[in-house]
This record gives sequence, structure tokens and C-alpha cells, in this order.
Amino acid sequence: MQLEGKVALITGASRGLGRSLAIAFGREGAALALCARGQKALEQVASEVAGAPVLAVPADVRSMRHLDQLVALTLDRYQRVDILVNNASELGPTPLPYLADYAPAAFDDVLQVNLVAPFRLTQALIGSMLLRDRGVIINVTSDAAVSGYPGWGAYAVSKAALEGLTRTWAAELAQTGVRIYAVDPGDMDTDMHRAAIPDADPSVLARPDDVARAFVRLVTTGAADLAGQRLEATAIGR
Amino acid sequence: MVVSPLKPLPALPAELRAHLPAELRGRRRDGVRLMVIDRAARRIEHAEFARLGSFLRAGDLLVVNRSRTIPAAFPARRDGGELVQLRICVRHTDEWHVLAVRPDPPHANVALRAGERLRMDGVDTIVRGRRADLPLLWRIDAPSDGLERLLRTGEPIRYSYVPAPVPASHYQTVFATEPGSAETPSAGRSFSWELVLALQRGGIDLAHVLLHTGLSSLQDDDVDAEHPLFEEWFAVEARAADAVNRAPRVIAVGTTVVRALETAATGQGQVQAMQGWTRLRLGPGSPLQVVDGLVTGFHEPQASHFDLLRALLDETLLERAYREAIAARYLWHEFGDLCLIL
Repeated sequence: MQLEGKVALITGASRGLGRSLAIAFGREGAALALCARGQKALEQVASEVAGAPVLAVPADVRSMRHLDQLVALTLDRYQRVDILVNNASELGPTPLPYLADYAPAAFDDVLQVNLVAPFRLTQALIGSMLLRDRGVIINVTSDAAVSGYPGWGAYAVSKAALEGLTRTWAAELAQTGVRIYAVDPGDMDTDMHRAAIPDADPSVLARPDDVARAFVRLVTTGAADLAGQRLEATAIGR
Repeated sequence: MVVSPLKPLPALPAELRAHLPAELRGRRRDGVRLMVIDRAARRIEHAEFARLGSFLRAGDLLVVNRSRTIPAAFPARRDGGELVQLRICVRHTDEWHVLAVRPDPPHANVALRAGERLRMDGVDTIVRGRRADLPLLWRIDAPSDGLERLLRTGEPIRYSYVPAPVPASHYQTVFATEPGSAETPSAGRSFSWELVLALQRGGIDLAHVLLHTGLSSLQDDDVDAEHPLFEEWFAVEARAADAVNRAPRVIAVGTTVVRALETAATGQGQVQAMQGWTRLRLGPGSPLQVVDGLVTGFHEPQASHFDLLRALLDETLLERAYREAIAARYLWHEFGDLCLIL
């Protein structure tokens, strides 16, 4: 039980990596606050978490009011958050359109979910972490942040910006006990990956449950010297 | 306690009421002004809040309130169809004590009836009656999903000097943790983490306590002058108590922190870990046991805030500070400038 006594808030927890993170963190003893848009799927995940307290808050991270609710209900229930995982991500329209053809509203939407929401949620929680001089924030990124794949426009831009956010924030937190990381989970066998690359061979894709274990390692080893960097899940703790 | 009134003071000019937080006035969150009152030297200085550190010394302890502000104003419909706004003042587990006001500015107080039913976002609540000790406050049944309901339908409480809604996040201090304050613990609102981390690097320590604020005004000058007569929930943890007991100089950020720390005071100049409801009333003639200095906002003299200041300042100095704050055009209220009393 490596996360006994810790409180973890995970966004986008109803599917894919978020679901695996919830189950893995819960198995290690963390009390959980989970959010996702779909209430039913979220409650399903909450029921799969064995033994740990779970607060499930249906929330659309694009909504400031929803984020306020998520933060207030979590802090009301647990009085603190030790680990924040900004995992909720939106891929955008599929099949993936070229930037020349991208609907501007869809572009805005992807940035809201993948960039603005992590900024807002981190900002809302970081004060309570700094008061205790302790906390870990993980922003889930992608190799699309560093490679120019055709069609991945808004998603790639949002993840590149999220990595920039992580770097700047890490520099500002350098003298504190709060650490912030960007973690690239790699290509995983998830709904999002199937939507992006329908013909990928699932046998070569990482399983989100395995990737979640790398997140547990990162949180428990708390490598301060890695803060701000983009880390690949496959390399963490190996 | 009967408090002798101060000599008549000049009225606060309307334009000195801050109508927006500094960061929505094109400045930084910490970009407000700071009046510094040195009690021993009887000197008043004018500075920028960002220079707070130059008035403190290594070893000083700043104590902040970590209470998170809830959207405590919410709509309810009376049986006859009339819409009212309820403002939560005290939240007990099964009973809320609320001020009922008209939904539109200037939000005049509304008299409810004991036993009447109010409909709030799809659920009914019953008005149990007035509070015996504070008849302006109505006791209503707390809905079972109380906090969730507030977070879904409530808005921050806004007085007439704030003409347009301000996004809820601006009502939070950067220390906001557990939710529960009806109004922002506003002395802490101008602190930025950039400022706090710089102060800490300079050897100034930081501790935090919790006090969930009630309403700053029941919109009746006579009642407000006696306020807070109602109870507020507070917590001083062992870690904060230790820090306070070790510190050579304790500076409270806000009168809420003064109330929490002085409630937890033992009588021997120390504080002990404690939590519960406080009804402590501070004023002239009740010298503070543990608080040596205060960061506070500017609030109007008929409010009880002034009384608490009289526990720190004699009337001559307080009156001088008030006149100087107006002459030097400091901004007042929760989005205004700050004052450091040492």
C-alpha cells in the first residue's frame, strides 16, 4: 500500500488511462476524487475501486463552475489533495482533420480541455499544496507534443502548450515541496487511440494498467530532479 | 459589551469603495496599497503591499485563514411566487441561518414567516423561525445535499458597491482549502504565492488556521455594529499552535485569524490546538493575548471590524488612520487596499 493516507484527484477517470489510474491508486491505498463527464461510467469505475474511499463528481472540465464544484467537494471531503493527475483529454474531431480544415470551435474546445482546464485546476489546488509544502501534479502529455503528425493539430498544440505550462510552473515551484511533471504514457490500447488510429495493431500497444503502475512509481519515488521535464512512462523507475 | 461610539467621522466617499479586485483593475493580485501603522512610534506610513516584507523581520509569523469561499447567495421561491435571495450566515448540520433579501439591488431585507415553505432549485425547505438572539437571521432546514446544492446554484455575495458580477475564482484567496466561508476572508485576498515564497525566503514563517466567515453585514447598521454576535466554525491545528507559541511576533492576516487564535488562547499568552464554534467578541478593553500585529482591509466604521481594531489601536490613532486613509484615497472593502498594524 504505497499510497496509504494520500488523496489523489484524477480527471477523465471513467475510461482509458484515467480509469486504470483510479484503480491502481486505489489499490495502493489512496483516497480518490474522480471526475468525468459521464456519470454512469464514472460510477462504474468508482465501484471497481476496491477498498479505498471514492468521491465521484460528474464534471465537464471546460466549465469553471464544474471545476469549482470538483475542488470544493474534494477539499470538503478530504481537506487536502496530495496528487493531482490532469488526465482528461480531448482528441478533437475524427477522422483527424488537417489544420487547414479544422473547425475553429473544435480547436478552441480541445485547448479548453487539454490546456485551460489543467491550468485552472492546478491553480485552484496548488495553494492548499503550498500551504503544506507538499504535493505532486502530473500532466498527461503525448508524443504529438513534440512531433508534427498530420491531422493531430489541436491535440498536438494543446499538449505542447501543456508541456510548456509544466516547465514554467516547475521553475516557479523549484524551492518548494510541490512537484509538477509531464508524463507521456506512450501509445496505449484505449478508445482515444482507436479513434485516432483505427488500424493500429493492439498487440503492440501498451496496456493502460501497466502504464498506471509507472505513475504510481513516479508519485512514490518523488524524483525532484525530474520536475518540469517531459517523462516517458516506459522509462520511469526502470 | 457596550461600546462607546467614536467621535463622528467623515463619511467614506463612494468612489473609494473598490468595485473590482486589483487583478481586474489591470494590476496584479498583490498590486494594492499598504498603510503601515506603527503603534509604538505612533507613525503612519504609505507603501505598496508588495513591499510588505520590508516592514517585517526574520522570525515573524504570518498566520493566514485557509477557508475557501462558497457561493453563499442562492435563489428561493416563496409559496406566493415571490423570488428571494437567501444569504447563508451560519451552516449547522441540519439547520442554516440565512438573511433573506430581495433578489435585485439594493437587496433590501425581506421578512419571511415561521413555518413557510421555500422552494430552492427543485427541493423544498421549511422556515423554522427567527433566531432568538439575532432576529434578522432565519433558521431554515438545511437540504441534505447542502454544499453540493450551493455549489451548483449559488453566487458569491455581492454588495452594491460591486456593480457587476465578479467571477467566483476572484473571491478565493490563494490559500483557499476547505470550503465554508460565506464571504471572502479578504485580508488574505491580495497575497500572491510569489510574495509569500519571497517572504519565506527572507525568513518569515507562514502558518494557517481555519475560520469559516459568516456575513459581514446583516444590512442593519445597529445590528452590524454589534456583529459578529453569531458563531463561526474555526480550527487551530497543533502545528499552527506550535508555530504561534514559538514565534517572537505573530501577525494575523485578517480579523478572522485574530478571532480563531484568540479563541484558542490559553490565558498565558499561548494557544492550544482547538476546533469548534467561536462566539468570541473582541474590542476595546479586551487586549489581545497572542496576536502582535494585523494585516487588514479597510471597512466602514459602523461595522464591528472597527471594534476589533480598537483592541489594537487607541481611539486617537484609529481616528487618525481613518482620516488619513480617506485623505490618501485608499480603496475600501473586500477588493480594496490593506493596512498593516504593528
